[in-house]
Amino acid sequence: MATAPTSPETAASRWFPLVVLVLVVLVLAGAAEFAPTVVQRRITQGLINLVAVVGLYVFVGNSGVLSFGNVAFMAIGAYVSALLTMPAAAKGVFLPDLPAFLANAEWPALGGALAGGAAAALVGLVAGFPLMRLSGISASIATFAILVVTYVVLGNWTSITGGQNSLMGLPIYVGLWTAAGWAVVAIVVAFLHQESRSGLLLRASREDEVAAAASGVHMVSHRLAAFVVSAFLSGIAGVLLAHFLGAVRVETFYLDLTFLIIAMLVIGGMRSLTGAVAGAIVITLLTELMRQAEVGVTVGATTIAAPGGLGDAVLALLMLLIILFRPDGIAGGREVSRPFRPAIAMPENQHRKAQ
Amino acid sequence: MELAAESVSVRFGGLVANDDISLSIASGEVLGLIGPNGAGKTTLVNILSGFQRPHSGAIRLAGTDMTHRKPGAFARAGIVRSFQAVRLFRRLTVSENIEVGLVGRGLSRGEARRQAFAMLSEFDLGHRAAQPASALSYGEERRVGLVRALALEPRFLLLDEPAAGLAAMEAEELKRAILSIRDNRGCGVLVIEHNMALVMSLCDRIHVLGGGKTIAAGRPEEIRRNPAVRTAYLGSTAA
Repeated sequence: MATAPTSPETAASRWFPLVVLVLVVLVLAGAAEFAPTVVQRRITQGLINLVAVVGLYVFVGNSGVLSFGNVAFMAIGAYVSALLTMPAAAKGVFLPDLPAFLANAEWPALGGALAGGAAAALVGLVAGFPLMRLSGISASIATFAILVVTYVVLGNWTSITGGQNSLMGLPIYVGLWTAAGWAVVAIVVAFLHQESRSGLLLRASREDEVAAAASGVHMVSHRLAAFVVSAFLSGIAGVLLAHFLGAVRVETFYLDLTFLIIAMLVIGGMRSLTGAVAGAIVITLLTELMRQAEVGVTVGATTIAAPGGLGDAVLALLMLLIILFRPDGIAGGREVSRPFRPAIAMPENQHRKAQ
Repeated sequence: MELAAESVSVRFGGLVANDDISLSIASGEVLGLIGPNGAGKTTLVNILSGFQRPHSGAIRLAGTDMTHRKPGAFARAGIVRSFQAVRLFRRLTVSENIEVGLVGRGLSRGEARRQAFAMLSEFDLGHRAAQPASALSYGEERRVGLVRALALEPRFLLLDEPAAGLAAMEAEELKRAILSIRDNRGCGVLVIEHNMALVMSLCDRIHVLGGGKTIAAGRPEEIRRNPAVRTAYLGSTAA
């Protein structure tokens, strides 16, 4: 039966997940306004992690290839922004051997952040060019190599990065609302990417590489595009973390953080943006609860506290349970959808009744 | 326009899967490709769609040499294939399965969504558009596979056992769909099929393979009468 070409999906329901996810971030940040400073800092850090998880999702979720390399892009973003925005005097102390153009640079915060993201994206483009041809576990191992190489280079390039020492004296400008603002930006970018033509074609290749090739999909270029966008957002997350802590240290951007970000994505569900956001928020709130449990409750003279390290153990256990019993994560591989869908176009309803 | 295999040969180790095979499909005709299991039918479709390079011989589309192009280039040139297993993008929606081909041809997401819905409705699948492809029944999967191929605006459509597992009535529907594709879109269609009744009534010409070689080629009635074909393939059932 030929029906009028009425789209069954309204524009409102297409944009619905984006609106909900942005609102969730804003509500969370708004609620944190009224929380004690310690909790507020945890939420801020959680929102920075959210940027990192969403950045990871852009590549992993759409391509189906797990990346261990995105924390390297965070490190690149952090160091580039640090070098461009630190006061020249501080750089004179920590990095006396810097080339003049870096030693004298005192960029504004936003310029430094964008440069950090752009540098990460550029490295993603160059490294991704040969690596995006790989698939499955070899691709994942190759991304792990990016992490290791970046770690070794940053840790030994003493004249530029200070090597294993911390770089201190970064402008501390990342508070609750800066982090929330960038979280919204990351969600919008990730949503627009997944709704784009390139995002759709990449997801098709994720589902079936051979059938996608038969449909004329050039997988490598769409993978590379996603990898570059992903590297940019991860770079931004690194910038935010650096200017939240006020210091950068190469050790920060290695296996612990990699594990945390991947755990957030896996637990939330790596095949939807909703999953990425849900994972970041749930794990942030959960680790904060565990931390408070580890601090304990003091009743009179006695303190009842959970054993130290409980947070990590719970995180590992949760990840195991999710992998075993709900491999598509909390979100189940779907985007959040409208609870009450409006009736779809008339010809469709008649068609259904006719069957 | 013509899609042609010219003296193609392929070996897998010691096995010669295609031995010096030549055939051609013209626009607006349905060519049947038949033969017993292991005759080299799917290998030939793989060669004609760029998934397998021949060790010798050439593939030409309207005279242009396609032999060393990749599958994506074949698809973009209008040579579209289906698979024995339908291979839908299972976790994408039915609509998105169709949109993949449409946006690949340069349509915007919005236009692609509208056109996908129109095409799905044409094949009685409009009500499935927003559901994941994994929720479809077998017969629906086969139809969505066909619509997905059509979304690429094929000039030549290569169908690998499209009626496998279909009930008689569904096979009849499929036959009508293929004939309407031939007549309304001017496609050249190549069909690998084991259902002889379907092949004989659907195809304009038939090409028979056996053991990697061409045994016979001709119109359905000629093939039905050909003693070599009867011995090699149709056997006692045709006698």
